[in-house]
Amino acid sequence: MNGNIWVLASADSVAIATTLILAALGALFTERAGVLNLGIEGILLTSAISSFLAADSSGSIWLGLIVGSLVGALLAGIHAVLSVVLRANQIVAGLALVIFGTGLANFLGKPAEGKTVTTIIKPLSFGPLSDIPLIGPIVFRQDPITYASIVIAIVSSLYLFRSRPGLELRATGDDPATVDAQGLSVASIRIRYTLFGGLLVGLGGSWLMLAQSAAWHQAATTNGVGWIALALVVFAGWRPMRLIFGAILFGFTLQLPFTLQAEQITFIPSALMQMLPYLATLIALIALSRPSTRNKLGAPKSLGIPFVRDER
Amino acid sequence: MRSPIRIVFEQRSETPKRLSILVPLLSVVAALVVGALFLLATGYSPIETYSNMLSDGFTSSRGITDTLGLSTVLICTGISAAFAFQMNLYNIGGEGQLYLGMIGGAWAGLALGDRLPTFVMIPVVLLVGSLAGALWVLLPAFVRSRLGTSEIVTTLLLTYIAASLVKHFVYSPGSFFVTKNSAFPQGRLVPDSAALKGIGDTSLYPTFFLVILIAVVLFWVVKKTEYGYRIQVIADSPRAAHYAGINANRTTLSVMLISGALSGLGGAVLIVGPFGRLDPGIILLGYGYAGIVIAALARNNFSAIIISGILFAGLRSGGDKLQISTSTPIHIGVMLQGAILLFALGGEAFRRYHIHAVRTERATQ
Repeated sequence: MNGNIWVLASADSVAIATTLILAALGALFTERAGVLNLGIEGILLTSAISSFLAADSSGSIWLGLIVGSLVGALLAGIHAVLSVVLRANQIVAGLALVIFGTGLANFLGKPAEGKTVTTIIKPLSFGPLSDIPLIGPIVFRQDPITYASIVIAIVSSLYLFRSRPGLELRATGDDPATVDAQGLSVASIRIRYTLFGGLLVGLGGSWLMLAQSAAWHQAATTNGVGWIALALVVFAGWRPMRLIFGAILFGFTLQLPFTLQAEQITFIPSALMQMLPYLATLIALIALSRPSTRNKLGAPKSLGIPFVRDER
Repeated sequence: MRSPIRIVFEQRSETPKRLSILVPLLSVVAALVVGALFLLATGYSPIETYSNMLSDGFTSSRGITDTLGLSTVLICTGISAAFAFQMNLYNIGGEGQLYLGMIGGAWAGLALGDRLPTFVMIPVVLLVGSLAGALWVLLPAFVRSRLGTSEIVTTLLLTYIAASLVKHFVYSPGSFFVTKNSAFPQGRLVPDSAALKGIGDTSLYPTFFLVILIAVVLFWVVKKTEYGYRIQVIADSPRAAHYAGINANRTTLSVMLISGALSGLGGAVLIVGPFGRLDPGIILLGYGYAGIVIAALARNNFSAIIISGILFAGLRSGGDKLQISTSTPIHIGVMLQGAILLFALGGEAFRRYHIHAVRTERATQ
């Protein structure tokens, strides 16, 4: 068996983890504020195609990333208005966002069908460091956004657990009444972090488009990554640092079918192999998400519950 | 710092009747306006697009039968979603349960072959499809009722697994479901005994009336039976249900299984009707996801689902034909679905609350 391909597979796992880290971080910030946004998959898809169209028409990858991220925040804004301002059912609102986002992305993506992005986000090279066997390709041959996503996760962890606004954010998800009593606006905090979460998800979707797939494959572009990201948040116990490792682990299951195919290991039919990431996520979710385990893991106590001051 | 003008939400004790009709109606209008803006921005004529959709979906005779034909499966997934949603169980995996219904239905049809008469075959295919759909929700239902694991993401993940299963059964060489020695992989047609004919050579199949009947029966079950009453009590207050001695776990399990069976029935309806074979093309159609929108728009009311199901079928069927007639992307139909639901959810606030602005003194801090 070719050892090299497994090194490349590990490097791919780290790379694919980028979207998972960014999307799951977006969900994490939103959920820490007490808002459940199930629309991640729809946001990913719409920001992916937006970044494609922006990059394609301007020739600038960076503009693509910015537009994709802003579209992510914009869609999350719909969710914020519905669930925070209008107190709609957050579960149904999130699902509506998935359906709306999928339709919108496919509609916008019509002119992109059959085209590929002319310039993609390229991996960096650190000279001799990138050539170190084993470690080189995995650690020193990733693209800037992949490094950025890990940095963002580390900074998020510090922000969440070591700063005053981070404390306020966590308190908003756990005990909004106390935050309100402190004279802070629960609604404003929730709206801000829902928007910020959408921005991160949008960046993840744009990266997926501009670095990973490079061509528009309709809904198959994201292929359920948004749902895996939502499960990843539970898996990571709403903690950004654990999320990095979880993302690489799930990233491994996402690229494994392709590696096995390249290695011509075909004793498991490829269509069945493609189930692996979803199956792994499902098992992890069932193992970890009993309410008692969830609380121990650190689920925000007011997740998904609208805050109404006068009632109760 | 708070602004001097505050928006106040006052809970309504009673919802005015006109709002119950006005809100969904305005949601549709608002979504059409948003759709028109997107059409204008991308260089299509909204008026031409909408009038084409209207005639292809609703006003031509071909359009009406196509719409009613498509509504058959959409009403199935709609009542499937509503049956679970009404108990605050979010089975959002109807899409995958529908695939399983197709697999089960096709399997039954192919396995039994031409040995049985049509009047036996059709019920058997529909039943096996429904059972397959229920089977697909068994694991999420079980862990939800026993461990309390949320069913939302588990049912959804199983949809992706079901999609791989469909592809496996069609694309793996020598599969039971495909035609042998065919140039390209394609599902094998079920025997004539398991295939219904469209009424008067249209795409409307007799299964439409069966599905309407099931919706009406469910309406009655929920409103008039003890089982329906139990569901309502658990939905309103799990604690009250507990004190009343209602076994919530068992009800959870049965409601989820029935919900899965209804989506499975939708898949089997496609086997005895328009598809006639296991077809991976189903994966791109999203009929199961549409059921969620249909149920939510009808606010889980089974008789209203018949109406919203037909409305959405017209939207889809009109939208799907657009590409042929005007080259407008067909996805405008799906986008409108999502937009209608988003507006309906927003409008829900105006139904539940009396919203008005009041002037308050600036908060002193």
